[in-house]
Amino acid sequence: MRALPGTRRLIITWGVLMALTLVSMVSARLDQTTDWQALPLWSAAMIMMATGFKAHCVLMVYLNLRAATPAWKGVFIALTLLTLTLIAAGYLAGRFHLVG
Amino acid sequence: MRRDLPNPGWGPLSALPGNPLMWVLILSEMLVFTAFFALYAGQRALDPALFNESQHQLDPVLGGLNTLVLLTSGLFVAFAVEAISAQRIQRSRQWLGAAILLGVLFCVIKVFEYTNKFAAGITPETNAFFGFYYGLTAFHFAHVVFGLALLGLVSWRTSTENVETAAAFWHMVDLIWILLYPLIYLLR
Repeated sequence: MRALPGTRRLIITWGVLMALTLVSMVSARLDQTTDWQALPLWSAAMIMMATGFKAHCVLMVYLNLRAATPAWKGVFIALTLLTLTLIAAGYLAGRFHLVG
Repeated sequence: MRRDLPNPGWGPLSALPGNPLMWVLILSEMLVFTAFFALYAGQRALDPALFNESQHQLDPVLGGLNTLVLLTSGLFVAFAVEAISAQRIQRSRQWLGAAILLGVLFCVIKVFEYTNKFAAGITPETNAFFGFYYGLTAFHFAHVVFGLALLGLVSWRTSTENVETAAAFWHMVDLIWILLYPLIYLLR
């Protein structure tokens, strides 16, 4: 766990995180100020994928879990995936009126 | 017992940096937030029209700006860890100071957002969405404030273990916001 990511890797990761945040914002079609409609499914999928990749970057590089044991990596990735799955399930259930 | 591990003698936690108890706290906090997110997702599924309409009254650009601020603050904390690992204490303190400034900026933007909402008559009791909006973001806000206190503390008591411990908590705060932002502000 001692092998730190190094300045170069940290800066590249930061750039990726910034870019993915902007991708999420563009995908969410924030220009729709008056005509506020549900997002197309591809937009929602883009947002979720960008979020998942950002979470992975923070876990592996900022938190430096890439140097941890596979078990620890697995725990944190599984918990993040579970969270994303719950968010996506709630969104899709509302979108297609699967509950209520 | 492997002596090259950061925390020999801590069993499964021995391979993680900083104080092992911080990782127990991080996992617990992530589980709590996951439960809240699940609750939000469930309520949203029951009344998507109300949630979409309420979401329209938020400012997703401010939320995005806060994401950029917090992630940059996380970068500075990671630089502080790199610096202290190279025994550059002053440089580590400088990075921690920069991270604290950005953390404070995050709080200022959040308070500005809350103020605007309250001025518009939107409170936690307005509806279920705003109950979650205030509840989840304020709970996260409390973690940011606690994280800032930790960063301040390790800027004073600067050691490799202390900086790694505070950094781990701060990155957890980053991670939670990364998940919270699309959930509350973007997905509709």
